[in-house]
Amino acid sequence: MDPEEEEEEKRQTVKGKMARRRTDRGRICVTVLFVVAASGAIPINDLLDRASQQSDRMHSLSTMLTHELGSHFPPIGKVMMPRPGSCHTSSLQTPNDKAQALQISEADLLSLARSLLQAWSDPLMVLSSSVSTLPHPAQSRISNKLQQLQEHSQSLGDGLEMLSGKMGPTAQTISLLPYRGGNDLGQDRISKLVNFNFLLSCLRRDSHKIDSFLKVLRCRAAKMQPEIC
Amino acid sequence: MDRIIATAEALWRMMRRIAEILLLLHWFNLLSVEGTRYSLPGKPTLTRCRSPEKETFTCWWEPSFDGGLSTTYALYYCKENSDTVHECPDYHTAGVNSCFFNKNNTSIWVNYNITVVATNALGSTFSDPVEIDVVYIVMPHPPENVGVTVLEDKGWPFLRLSWEPPHKVDTRSGWITLIYELRVKLEEETEWEMHLAGQQKMFNIFSLRSGGTYLVQVRCKPDHGFWSEWSSTTSIKVPDYFQRERSVWVMIMVSSAFIFLIITWLIHINSHSLKHYILPPVPGPKIKGFDKQFMKDGKSEGFFCDLVSIHFPATTTPNDEDLLVEYLEVCVPEEQELKMEDKGEDGCPKSESSTSDCDSGRGSCDSQTLLIDKCFKRVAPGLDIECSQTGTGANEIQDSPDVSSGRVKTWPSVYSPLSQHPVDLMHSLDKSKQHCLSDTLFPSDSSCPYHSHPDHSTNDNPDSTYWKFCFNNKQRLLLRPQMETQWQPHAYSEVNISATVRSSDYVEAHNISDENTVVLHSVSSSHDDREGTGYKYQGEDYSHVQRVGSDNVLMLQRGLMKEPVDTGFCKNQQANRAAGTSDTSPITRNQKPTVCNETTLSVNGPAANGYVDTATMFIKPTQD
Repeated sequence: MDPEEEEEEKRQTVKGKMARRRTDRGRICVTVLFVVAASGAIPINDLLDRASQQSDRMHSLSTMLTHELGSHFPPIGKVMMPRPGSCHTSSLQTPNDKAQALQISEADLLSLARSLLQAWSDPLMVLSSSVSTLPHPAQSRISNKLQQLQEHSQSLGDGLEMLSGKMGPTAQTISLLPYRGGNDLGQDRISKLVNFNFLLSCLRRDSHKIDSFLKVLRCRAAKMQPEIC
Repeated sequence: MDRIIATAEALWRMMRRIAEILLLLHWFNLLSVEGTRYSLPGKPTLTRCRSPEKETFTCWWEPSFDGGLSTTYALYYCKENSDTVHECPDYHTAGVNSCFFNKNNTSIWVNYNITVVATNALGSTFSDPVEIDVVYIVMPHPPENVGVTVLEDKGWPFLRLSWEPPHKVDTRSGWITLIYELRVKLEEETEWEMHLAGQQKMFNIFSLRSGGTYLVQVRCKPDHGFWSEWSSTTSIKVPDYFQRERSVWVMIMVSSAFIFLIITWLIHINSHSLKHYILPPVPGPKIKGFDKQFMKDGKSEGFFCDLVSIHFPATTTPNDEDLLVEYLEVCVPEEQELKMEDKGEDGCPKSESSTSDCDSGRGSCDSQTLLIDKCFKRVAPGLDIECSQTGTGANEIQDSPDVSSGRVKTWPSVYSPLSQHPVDLMHSLDKSKQHCLSDTLFPSDSSCPYHSHPDHSTNDNPDSTYWKFCFNNKQRLLLRPQMETQWQPHAYSEVNISATVRSSDYVEAHNISDENTVVLHSVSSSHDDREGTGYKYQGEDYSHVQRVGSDNVLMLQRGLMKEPVDTGFCKNQQANRAAGTSDTSPITRNQKPTVCNETTLSVNGPAANGYVDTATMFIKPTQD
């Protein structure tokens, strides 16, 4: 087993390096975009469109992760699952129905999206570090998807930051939602899986929220292009 | 009184007990009846919950067996953050075994824990709980107002599809983002053609089949949800656009007609050669002595002459029949009657150059000039015959004594009417000419152009010494000056015969051997037999060639010699050599086709009679 583990670790380190390179590239891109956007060259519509695509991709990845993990989930884990209300982002007030959601201003919507996104930067790192020891048959795929998720989250965060600069001070307010789960997801196999699953479910919902807010924002900003909405 | 009341109460209690017992008995009775067992209801299952617009949702369940008793179903739910259990607010809107949650009861980003309970008289059965979040179960209705029209793009039709999102879905505010998919097929096909349309509400389909009927369906899907059902089928018929292709057909027809016209014109231009290629000309009748042209131009008498002449060559051997047997016609001037008789053999030996001429019945003299020219160059001395070629094509023959083709093709029959039968010069000429030529060069006044009967000969001119040799059409026969005018110069070889000719004798070219040697025999003086019956071969009389002049003149000797002499003319021969022999010997038929290297034609001195009886000519065109 040792040689296999070593190989896996090598792979992980390589992937980690690649992820960092990708993140660096993404950051460079976003910085460039930021600079350009700051000069007013890129319209908000395009920025929002790009942001929506990113958030859409993020939510798809998280949905896939949830399904992957759920395929080999022990039944007893479902019993042990913490309640969804105990997500670390549940304290953030978000609309509960369409009427409420459409009443929120654009700045608030953006602020909410940014807050949620920011709240998941740390947990994603915890997840990435824990996936290597995850006792799951689809562990490599999960790891791969998590890495992509991280990258998207990073670039989206940078883009939203850029957007917020154009939308006023309210948009730049971020509610802090610290993650207090610690670096360790669990000692035994079951708890690891359960915690992993729980985190992923929280991520799935939050990513959906972000995606919804951004798409509402996109349609609000695209009054000149009704074919999008 | 009290006792009565107490007794009544006791009776009442008893009756109640009895009723209960009866009821119990009835119950047990019911339970023990065969075939009916009552039990708890089966476990229902929640089949699915769907939200069409992310504002409301509906859950359906599947009931199980009812346990024999009437069963009622109830749906209970609780939200994630509270423990309050609520019951389904609406069981009817969505149909049987369903629960509809309206807007007020629907919260998003909230987990619902839903359970269905089946209850009958015996008890209740709970289904398995289901956790749902409304935002994950969005399945819209199919798109609406699917419209299809046929439009044209540069003459080619295409389908334009358009649709609208389902009316309940709010896409304007961005609450739901829909993507669409459509499928198309021809009415008679089984496979659908799928197209993903993205977020647009319009789509074009090209490459249609003319006159076909297309079926179209559209469906939609929210960005993170389920595909809707397919919309109802919309059909459209594509009109025939063959008319639009008519221009292509018109061009094709015009170009093919043009090509057809060109081909017809080409065929018309080359019709003649094509006709010859496809339908080769039919050869004319192959009758010996039968000159078709003569028939056309001549008179009936000439025709008769021809017929008679057929019988003349009685002595021709069968194998020589196909060879040219023609006669050197010796034409005697007016005092003599030269009876020229052509054998009229059209069967000239096949010339390499024109075999068809022989067969066609045209004058066999049409053929090669080379023969005559050659032969007369080698005429034995004693016979001054001047051969000159004036015809076309004679040059090559004159230049080389060797006849490359090597054959005596045609010979006019040399017929020297040495008898007392005068030869009509004209007749002889005509005859010879006729024999030689396909087209008559004779003056038309000759009565017997082909050969002269004794009947026709009027003049007995023993003194005339002119012989006219008519060879083939390329040679000119020299006659006396007064006769010359009547001839066309390029038709004859000129032969000057200085020797006196006895008109009574005929020189006939008897036959032609294999090597194209012409055997000339003199005909005996008895010409009486000829009358009316044509000429007979009178024997083996030969004319003697006295000498050959320097100018290729054959000098014929008078008198008859009966000694056979082998004479042969060879290509290399010169006329002088032929003069070596003193005796003109009749040249027998050269049966063997051997190359003769010397002319041995002997020429005697002038005979007493002064006639050149016969002249045999051998021609050996083939040279070794």
